[in-house]
This record gives sequence, C-alpha cells and structure tokens, in this order.
Amino acid sequence: CKKFLDVNENPNNPDTASPNLLLPASQAATGQIMGNFFQIYGNFWAQYWTQNPTSSQYRTVDQYNPAATAFDRPWLILFRNALVNADLITKAQGSSLEYTKGIAYLMKAYTFQVATDAFGDIPVSQALQPEVYPAPSYDAQAVVYDSVFNYIDKGMALISVSNSSSPGAQDMVFQGNMANWKAFANTLKLKAYLRLAYVDPTKAAAGVRALYATNPTFLTVDASIKYLSTGGNENPLYNEMVGLSRTQNIVASTTAISHFDANSDPRVAKLYDLIPTDAAAKTERSIPQGSYNTNTGKTVSPPSALVGARASNSASATAPVKFISVAESYFLQAEAVQRGWTNGVGVVATLYTQGIQASFTALGAGDATAYIASAPDGAAALAANPLKAIITQKYYAMCGFQGFEAWTEWRRTGYPDFFTPSVAPILGIPRGSFPLRMAYPNTEATSNKNFPGIVTIDQPVWWDKN
Amino acid sequence: TVTSSDDKLPIPGVSVRVKGTQVGAVTDANGRYSVNVPSGGTTLDFSYIGYVVQSKAIGSATTINVELVSDAQVLTDVVVTANAIKREKRTLGYSAPTITSEALEQSGSASALTAMVGRVPGMNISSSSNTPGSSTRIVFRGGTSIAGNNQALIVIDGVPVDNSSVIGGADSRSSVDFGNRANDIDPDDIESITPLLGPAAAALYGSRASNGAVQITTKSGKKGKTQITFNTSNTFSSILKLPDFQNEYGQGYATDYDGSVVNEYFNDSQENWSWGAPFNGAMQEWGQSIDGVRQSKPYSAQTDNVRNFFKTGFATDNNLSFSGGTDKSTFYLALNTLNSDGIFPGAQDVYDKYGVRFNGRTDFSDKFSAGISFNYNKINARQVAGGQNDNSVFDNVLQTPRDIPLDKLGDLNNKYNGFGYTDANGVLHADQYGYYGSYTLNPYYILQNFTNDDAINRITGNVNLEYKPLSWLTIQDRIGTDTYSERRRQLTPKFSFSPIDLTTNQGTHVSNGGYQIDQFNVTEIVNDLMATASHTFSEDFKGSLMVGHNIRQRTTSTNRTATNASAGLVVPDWYNLQNSNGPLNVITDNISQRRLVGVYADLNLAYKNYLFLEATARNDWSSTLPVQNNSFFYPSVSGSFVFSELIKPNNILSYGKVRASVAKVGNDTDPYQLLTTFSKGTILSGFGSTVFPFGNVAALQAGSTLGNPNLKPEITTAYELGTELSFLNNRIGLDFTYYQNKSKNQILAIPIPNSTGYGFSVVNVGEVQNKGIELTLKGTAVRSADWNIDLFGTYTRNRNLVVDLGDIDQVVLGGVSGMAIVAAEGRPYGEFYAVTNQTDAQGRTIVDAETGLPLPTATAQYLGSYNPKFQASWGANITFKKHWNLNVLFDTKQGNKLYSRTKDILAFVGVSEETGGQRFGLPFPNSVYLDADGNSVVNNSVFYNKQDYFPDLNPGVNIIDGSFVKLRSAGISYSFNKEQLKSLPFSAVSLGVFGNNLFIWTAKENKYVDPEVNSGGATNEQGFDYTAQPSVRNYGFNLRVTF
Repeated sequence: CKKFLDVNENPNNPDTASPNLLLPASQAATGQIMGNFFQIYGNFWAQYWTQNPTSSQYRTVDQYNPAATAFDRPWLILFRNALVNADLITKAQGSSLEYTKGIAYLMKAYTFQVATDAFGDIPVSQALQPEVYPAPSYDAQAVVYDSVFNYIDKGMALISVSNSSSPGAQDMVFQGNMANWKAFANTLKLKAYLRLAYVDPTKAAAGVRALYATNPTFLTVDASIKYLSTGGNENPLYNEMVGLSRTQNIVASTTAISHFDANSDPRVAKLYDLIPTDAAAKTERSIPQGSYNTNTGKTVSPPSALVGARASNSASATAPVKFISVAESYFLQAEAVQRGWTNGVGVVATLYTQGIQASFTALGAGDATAYIASAPDGAAALAANPLKAIITQKYYAMCGFQGFEAWTEWRRTGYPDFFTPSVAPILGIPRGSFPLRMAYPNTEATSNKNFPGIVTIDQPVWWDKN
Repeated sequence: TVTSSDDKLPIPGVSVRVKGTQVGAVTDANGRYSVNVPSGGTTLDFSYIGYVVQSKAIGSATTINVELVSDAQVLTDVVVTANAIKREKRTLGYSAPTITSEALEQSGSASALTAMVGRVPGMNISSSSNTPGSSTRIVFRGGTSIAGNNQALIVIDGVPVDNSSVIGGADSRSSVDFGNRANDIDPDDIESITPLLGPAAAALYGSRASNGAVQITTKSGKKGKTQITFNTSNTFSSILKLPDFQNEYGQGYATDYDGSVVNEYFNDSQENWSWGAPFNGAMQEWGQSIDGVRQSKPYSAQTDNVRNFFKTGFATDNNLSFSGGTDKSTFYLALNTLNSDGIFPGAQDVYDKYGVRFNGRTDFSDKFSAGISFNYNKINARQVAGGQNDNSVFDNVLQTPRDIPLDKLGDLNNKYNGFGYTDANGVLHADQYGYYGSYTLNPYYILQNFTNDDAINRITGNVNLEYKPLSWLTIQDRIGTDTYSERRRQLTPKFSFSPIDLTTNQGTHVSNGGYQIDQFNVTEIVNDLMATASHTFSEDFKGSLMVGHNIRQRTTSTNRTATNASAGLVVPDWYNLQNSNGPLNVITDNISQRRLVGVYADLNLAYKNYLFLEATARNDWSSTLPVQNNSFFYPSVSGSFVFSELIKPNNILSYGKVRASVAKVGNDTDPYQLLTTFSKGTILSGFGSTVFPFGNVAALQAGSTLGNPNLKPEITTAYELGTELSFLNNRIGLDFTYYQNKSKNQILAIPIPNSTGYGFSVVNVGEVQNKGIELTLKGTAVRSADWNIDLFGTYTRNRNLVVDLGDIDQVVLGGVSGMAIVAAEGRPYGEFYAVTNQTDAQGRTIVDAETGLPLPTATAQYLGSYNPKFQASWGANITFKKHWNLNVLFDTKQGNKLYSRTKDILAFVGVSEETGGQRFGLPFPNSVYLDADGNSVVNNSVFYNKQDYFPDLNPGVNIIDGSFVKLRSAGISYSFNKEQLKSLPFSAVSLGVFGNNLFIWTAKENKYVDPEVNSGGATNEQGFDYTAQPSVRNYGFNLRVTF
C-alpha cells in the first residue's frame, strides 16, 4: 500500500537548479524592469516621452495617477524573478562558484538599489526568507543602501579570487568577463555613494574616497543586455509593444526635444524618428508633456528603433537595455572629481568630454567636439555651473535608454531644471507637482501584515533633498 | 394474461410464482404466462417493479387473468444512493430528491445538468450560454472550498466521472467555451438523477464528494419484448437577451466641448465611438474613399444592426435505442447524434456529438450475475471566442456605431467590407483594407479567419460482478473507467493591413498570427469491492452491514504548445507548429498521477417500518498528502423516523417523516503540492515576456509557489435536519431541510508578499461555512378522470460565509485588472472587489466640484457576491385525458451580483441606452460635491459630460444586480395510447413542442446580458461577463416513437 501511494514526486519540474542556470533568469528579470516598466515610467517622468494622442495605454503615467495595481508586476519581477534567484545563487553550495556568486551579489546590489530608488523603504533584511519571515518588514532606505554597499563588497571579494570558473555565456551582461565585473562593482559603488551626496555628504565623501583609495577601474563598456530578434528574446519594451498589437503609445515630449533642438544636438535624430511638421496633415515633431487630449488625432514623432521604442520597426527588437552606460560612468567620475572626493584623481573637463563623446559614439552620432564647443549646454555650461552641466549632459546621454536613472538623478540633484509638469493630471497628486517615487504595489498592501502603509507618489524618498 | 390497470394493456416480464415454492414463470410480450402448479400450490403471486404485488388463489381455474395496479409510491420511493446502492426513500436520514427522465425530457435541453434547473432545491446550477456543449456549473449548498473545485461530484452508475472545465483561449478574458465534461452524457440515456446534496448522503464516495454528488443512473433493458425507441428533438435558437441600445447618436465624437455645451463634432469615419452628432437623417458619406468613391447612407440609427447580425441556430438531437431482455439477461443499446449550428453567421459555432451506449446484465446462476456498461462519445466542436481580443466576434459586434449597417457588411469580397483589396487595374493589394474601422475588425472576417476547434474521444464504462454465496451475503465488485483525449486547435491569422484611404487617418491592423494545440488526456480507474450482509434479528428489527474497499487512480497529461508567443507565424495561413517564427511556446507540459485507497463500512438498522439508522465510516489513504498525514478517517450518522406509522390512518396526514444527519468528510489535495520547485526561465511582463532559451542561454528560476511538506487533509463537517410530510391522501407534499456545513483546514495556495521571493504558499488555512434551507412543495390541484394538474415549487436559501482565512484578508478567485472576484474573510464567497464611484452617507454620488465627474473611491470596495441570496422555482404539470401534457417551469435567482464588461464596452463606445439622452449640460444624477470642509453639497450646477464619463468607468460601476426570473422551460406533448396505435407497428408515439430558456426578466439596472452567461466557464470565477457569448433561447419539436 505504501509503495502504491508513493507517486507524489513531481515529474514536471526539477526541485534543484544549478547557480549558472539561475543567473540568466535573474539578469533578464532586471532587464525587464530597466528595459520595460521603469523604462516607460522613467522616460515619461524624465520627460523624454509622452503619451501618443491617438492611443491610450500610458495615459495614467502622464496623469501622475497610476492605478493601485500598476506596480504589482514590477515589484513581482524585482523580488520573485530578479532578487530571489540572485539570492539562491549566493546561498548555493558547491565548488568553483565564486564568480557566479559574486556576479549574483552585484546583481542583487544593483537591483536592490533600483528598487529602493523607486519605492523608498523596502524589505531587505527580512526579504527573500519566506520560512523565517512570511511577512517581511520594511527597512529604512538608509539601511537598504547599507545592504547595497555590503552586497557590492561581498561580490567584489568573490570575483577577486583566482581559480574559479567563469559562467561564460550564462552571464548575459559581460559573458563572464570578470575585469568588466570589477569595473561594474566600482562604478556601482560610486553611483550609490553619490546618491547620498545630499542626504549624508559625510558618508558619501568617505565612501567615494575609500573607493578611490583602491585605485579602482570604472566601466568603459556598457553594462547591458543585448537582445535578439527571436520572438521572446526581443528588447522588453518592443516585446511589450508587440503584445499590444504594435500600437505606438509613445511619442516625443517637447521638454526633451526643445532642449536637444536648442543645442542643435545631432543625437536627437538618432533617438527619435522625427517626422516633418505639417499643420495640414496634423503632424508634430513633439507635443508638450501629457497634452494628448489637446492634440487629438495628431501624428507625433515616435522614439526610434535604436532605443527599442518604435512599434512598427522590427529593428527595435535588438535595442540593448543598459544597466550602467559608459557615458554614465564618466559623468559619475566627473561629479566625484568635481566634489573633490577622489583623492585628487581625475579632471572634470576631461571626464565631461569623455562622457559626451561616449554618448555620441553609442548613438553613432559621430564626433562630439563641435557640439561641445558650440552648444549652450556644452563647454560653456560646464564653466558656468559644473555640477549642473554634468547632470544635464548625463540627462541628454540617458535619453531613451536610461529614463529611470535620469528621473532619479533629477530627483537627487534638481537637474535638468527645465521640467514642466504634465498637463494631463485630473486626479492623482496635486496639480503642478511631480512624481517623486513609485507607489507601493497593491499586492504588498493586501498580503503583508507588516506593510507600512500607502505613500503617495509626490512624497520624496529619503535621499531626495532637492 | 397480466394487464395493467392503467391502460388495460398486457405487461411483459411479470414474475409469476407459486407461493411457497420455487416454481414460477415470466409473462411474455403479450402478458401471457403458463405455469405448472405443483400439488399443494394454492396461490399465485404476481410481482412487477412499479406495481403492487398481487396474490390470487388458484382454486380450480386454468386461466387466471390479473390486473396489476401501479404503485406510484413505490416508484418514487426507490432512491439510488451513494455507490449506486438502491434504498427506500423512507429509510434515508438525509435529503435525496430524484429527478426522472420525464423531467429531463420536458426541458428539451442537450445538457443533463442544465435540465435539472429548478427541479429540486439546494442546487445552484448556472447554464452559461445554454447552447449544446457550453458550460454548466453545479454547486450544492453554496460550495465549501475556497480555491478548490466546488462542483458536485458527477457519478454515472456508481462510477465517478471527470468533470473538467478548462476554458479555451488564453484565459477567461479571451475565453472560448468548450464546456465541462459532465455535459458529455446524453440526457436520453438517463433513467434518473439523484442529487446527493450533503456530505452525509455522499460520505461513501469519500473525499471527492465533500461538495455532494450527482448520482446519474442510466437506462437498462427490461425483461420481455425488445423495444425500439426513436427520439428526435429539433431545436431552433436565438439570442435570449441583447443589450438595450441608444438610437440618437452615431459615429464620431465631440471635439470642442465642456460639461455644458458642444461646439463641434468630428464625424470620424474610422471610429468605433458613437459619441458623434445627434442623428439628422441626412445622406452622409461614410467609411473609406476607395478608387475615389465613398459610400453614402442616411445618418440615422440602425436599430437592429446587432440583432440582425445573428442567425437562427438549429440543432437536431436523435437517439435510437434498443432495449429488452430474457428472464436471465437484459440489455440497452442506444445510438445518439447531436448536430448543432449556433447563432453566429456561417458555420463557426458548431457542435457535433456522436455517442453509443451499451448497458447489459445477465444472471449466470441464482448466485452470480454480471453487468457491463459502456459508453463512447465522439465530439467535434468549433466555437467562437468571447472576451476582448481581435478574435472576439461579440466584442467587435458591440463596438459597431449605431448608424453602421453591420448586418450588411457580410460580403467580404466587397472592397468596402474586406481585408485585401483588388484595385481598378486588377492589382491585388493583400495588405490593404477597405473596412471602415481602425479599432475593430469586421466580425464576419473574424468568423472566417479565427478558428477554435475541439475534438474529444471518450470512453466511460464499468464492469460489475455480483455474487451471493449465501442468502444473507452479497459480494459485489465494480471496476469502472473514464478515459478521454481532447485536442484543441486555436488558429489566429497572420496579417498586416493598412488602409486603402490614407486621408482619413485610418490605423493599421497587424497580427503576427499564431497556432496553438492543447492536448488533454485524462484516465480514471476506480474499483469498489463491497460485501453486504443482511440479517433479520426479529420481525421488527432488521439490519445490514456493508464493508467496502475502494481504489482510485487518476492520471492526466496536459500539453499546450503554441507557435512563438511574440513573433507568431512565419508564413500566413499555414497552421502548423513547424511554422513557428522562433522557438515554440510550451505553455504547459504536465503529467500527473494520484492514487487513493479507501476502506469503508455502512451499517443500516431498521426498526419496524418507521425507525431507521445509518452509520458510515471511511478511512482514506491519499498519495497527494505527506506520508505522516496521508491517512484520514471520517464517519457519518443519519437517522429517519416515519412518525406517521404511529398515527392512526387519517385523511389529513398521509405520511410524515423527520430525518437528521451529521457527517464529516476529509479531503486531500492536488498532486505535487509538497515541494518547492523550479521552472524554465520566463519573465512575464504586462503584455510580453522574456523567455528562455535566450539565444543559446538556458535558464531556470524559482517557482512561484512554496510547497508544504506538512499538509493535513481538509475536513468538512455537516449537519442536516429535515422533514417530509404529505397530506390529504398524498395530494400535498412538503419536503424541508435545514443544513449547516463547515469546511476547515482548507488546503490553499495563499498569496504571500512578493518580497518573500515567492507569490504563494500552500497551507492549511481557512474556514468556510454554509447555512441554509431547502423547501419543496408539491400539490395535486386537480385529480379527475380527465384532468391531472400537479403544481410544485422549490425555495433555496444559502448563507455563505468565509469565516477565517488566517493571516490574509482575501483570496482572488478571478477578475481583471482593477476588479477582483474574491473570497474575503467575513464575507460571502465570490465577492466582487473593485474601485467604484464615491458615494456619501446618503448614497449620493460624490463628483469633482470642477469637472462634475464622479470621484473614484480611494481603495477597492466590496460590492456583493455572485452567489444568490435565494433561489426559487415554480412549475406545473398538466395532463388531460392521459394524452395531453402541458408543462411549465419558472425559476429565479435573487440578490446575486454580476460584473459586466458588455456594459463597460457599450459605455466606452457610447451605444448603450444609458449613454443616450441629453449628453451635456446636466449634473450627474443624484450627485453632490464636497465643500472645503468636506460637507456634501447637492449638485445642481456642476455639469458633467457623458463623453468624458462613460468611456472611462470605474470598474465597480460595471458590477450590477444579477437577479432574474426565467421561464426555464415549457412544453406541450401528445401521446397516443396503445389502443390508438393498434393497427400500427408502434407501441407508443408522442409528439411535442418544447422550449427552454424562453424568457427572462432581469433587474432594472441590467439592460445588458442574461446574468447566467459567464466567461469563466464552470470554474469558481462566476458572475463574470467579460463580453461573454450571449445565451440563447431554444424552442423546437420532439417526436418519440417506440416500436
């Protein structure tokens, strides 16, 4: 009888998984977040993009009135796809797993930072331990940042050992290139400390100085996932658009376009499919943020396939998702030097130029020298207000690829200073204000008895002092 | 000759026995018999089922003619109970009403389950679209399980059969109703149905019958002359209820307006919106300009453009049966065909079912007999999708502007209607379309190009052996199986159409296409070995004890594979998995096996003819529970007391019985719930997903559900009290039941915070309680030589409460983004939960002081349950001169709620009645706005406009009262008696007209749908009209001929 009843072993799913198989799932999940959900919210709230008047999918984003359930899915992907799999790797037993575990720690650090930058206080110390903490309590953002630094250090230690096995192609970001991962770790640490520059400058300065004391390498290649044209392997935003019957929901916002244009920036033609403006044919180069209702029936320039956002162009499929870009790496270093936290290493103007040139190169926009020399936001701006210039140029460099980081840096520094409130809001947060965080997901509110309560999206996060 | 007192005709197969001897005979086809009476034989006993036993003294007579009197009491008093055990009704300690084959015939329904609606109380049956092959959900006494199956177990001739309900299409938001498998049985083959409503009645079936059981007994042959019966039912169908439309405004929308006034309308010829200018009847161009020409038509309402889109459906259901037997053997052989073509134009909603049944039984000796039952069904169906995707015909029909003559757009070769266009020079532009709509596809095009097929092969049957080694001992073994394979194919065309006319700013229609195959295989094997000993302790005190052993195994395999989810097909129109553009999308590849072993005992004691006691006990061992918890025991006790036996015979109370029972039933869980597993890397986003392999990179990820190695069985405890009374020589009958049941330790995958890294955790949690009453009243209003008028009514009230859910507040059973159907602690099961319009304490809608538009509630609100507060039915059965029969049955459900996306989409496009009337310059009805101090100010001055309100309704506004009254069935039939047919080769002929689902009266706020339609099929997701297929009324004629 006992044997007769012993048929309950699951034949459909394995109950163990090797770390090298979990790694790409974790990385691709972070790719979905950065390349789709946070790409959309980020690029809208950083005012690169706005809702197309002839469609409706993202109206609530421009209305600053996301549905209560709008952040359920990204939160799910963060914790249940990206973080839990990274966490399982770090806990795995076995030999020669140091590199894979180290990468997992760095992915965990990167993803936790993204999550806290989006939502503020989040579970970290009690997260990902369902047996011990079935209802994880939320940690203050300062605590989350401490965990991020801790994970970076642990990751750095693991990837610095010799004689471990490279995960090779299972590493979707650097294909097992550990030198790049070391640069990633350093750049991420720099980015994380700089985020605290206003809320805790002492700690930020000490952290950056300690980092520079190690003679760090920084990223000179993009930390990105390169997508394929194969169905299911496409750029996440494009893949989402295919799921929406290839409706073009996203078009150019006047906020970004007007400033690219004011600088005669050649990158604008790479980032958007600019259409001729013709009043009779009701076509527009851009429309003001959130003005879909007053531009009913008008055709507006969409973002280009280069950034993965052109629904009708299959070339969008192969647009990469950038976790940290080369340009960003230079601008971070430029800011660190500008703040005087690098123990004398580096020159602001050089790094600033390198950042702009890296952006031009990445977009195939050629040599940036003439632009830097002539554009009002180029060399002249650096001379006038270096920090403002660095962050503003970083803003241009992040267009279409790193909307979330651009919005986050705007929250941190107040730059660029030319955002205009969306005209769409009817409900939601008070008119004239901006979204300063993402809302906690409904699923946490309904399932976690330690949920701290709803925070409206116009409330700044802890490090946001500007 | 033995004849019947009813019609004076001979009865074949009557057992004639010389009293006190083993000598006897059976009457032949003409009712004649002969018997050699041994010396000393003085009396003959005549017995036949359904008739009162008669004894006649032999004396010196050589011919003894007897007229047997039928015994209606006997017929209704035999009930088929759990494990197909026949019991006298009076002995039962629980409610077990019986539905006869006549009642099933009267309904004229192709579904045996739907045919039961309104016949007995305690059952909540939802018939969805009421077409052949559509879903029927059947729940007794409210349902006990939070997330598990709540439907009653379906049992045919003692063998449980599969009743899977797997919605076709991706999910309930794009559902194709392929029905539930219990509807495969042909109602013509059914002798009777006994709903075993409570756990006490069903205890012997064990864990699977914790929601009660439907005991179906199929027809068997009778000893005597072979009977050939041909029965044909031919049914026409049409939509029962269409939405009410506005007929004042047409295509387009207001462009320059505020709450009070419109300055400009845009007659946008690509629109699905009917927010345009008021109708003026003037000739107006519409649609695209093709080869320089646009069509024109008057700008006025096409009042019946939706109704006329549909055609009259037709179904023919034919059953030919042969039955008969010798004194040793009986058989029943039936062939059945059902061919239906539904209400959608063309032949895209067809359902063809072919069946053969053989039931036979033979006595090899006095001690040993064997029976076999076999049924084969072949079903081929093609159904139309509902929901909101491109493939939903109804969704596209409903979005037709009020002035577009939809019913005249069926000619797809007409360049103004079709997709693909041949220009004036004869050049084909396969990628251009001439249809007017940018946002909708021509529903006729959808019908021709999107296909959902289903093919089923199914065998059910059992072999059953009976051995009586001793006069007091019966040993029985029954082995039964149910095995089927079902294969579904879903074809989605690949196309990319741009408009012919670019000047009207028309949009493109793009689809990557797709092909999906769903293959389901289910095999169940059940064996029951039972030994029954009966003993007469004394004249007054009798008893029997049955002990049994049960083994059950269920194996399933599910394989759902499609072409690449994102990139679809390579080549258009080639529907094969080889045509996948990129890696195949393996949606499900799953096998499962579960086993259960049970032992049980059933003790019956009878004192005199009025006191009865039954006790059952069962212990199960289940493969799906952890070893340490896999054995569970549960008992039941029930008793009945026929107190009328103790009262002197009188003219008032003819029969009186009280009954009581208490029962416990344990339940196991699905296979593979104990461990946490990993799955292939798949990151699902809102509308797309990242899927591995990614190039050559493979990935695994943690599963979504935490397993639980310590699960315990669920326990349901039920109490039941009831009485059966009849008065005035059985002219009035009453059956009343009060019950209460509680299910606790429910095995449930509860949602846990995603911040744990997992989404669900399998736990024992929760308690659901149902309390209710069931009442049946029957009366014979007229009983005369010519007339018999029987009236009956039922009333059912169930109070359902989710008592406890542990740490969580609610479990989601279904719904859409922004609207969930939940089981929430402290509320009835199946509660709607959604954001809705804010109201103040007086129930007035709170509007924005500037826009006049209703404000949404800050959080989702509980807005009522899909479960009715009460149900009732009322019917009459009138016979005249024994030839004519008229029957009518009404039923009602009251107090249930319904989410209607049909309402929502009609509001969005501005075609429903509520969007008509004055559209501007009015305040929102019964509204207030809040002043600076938060006080309500009655709003007469802030005007809203309907064009800003209706296209963007809060989901809660679409949750409406689902109460209804239906004329469930009605029919008239005429039967010829044997004398009328004397010169013909027929022994019986009846002819009738019938109808079902004939008329509906809905709550005032429901101007949209039959509340029984459902996009969730027969699952726990009920009250969910996600542009579900409309239900139909059926009417037709029936001819039954017996040779």
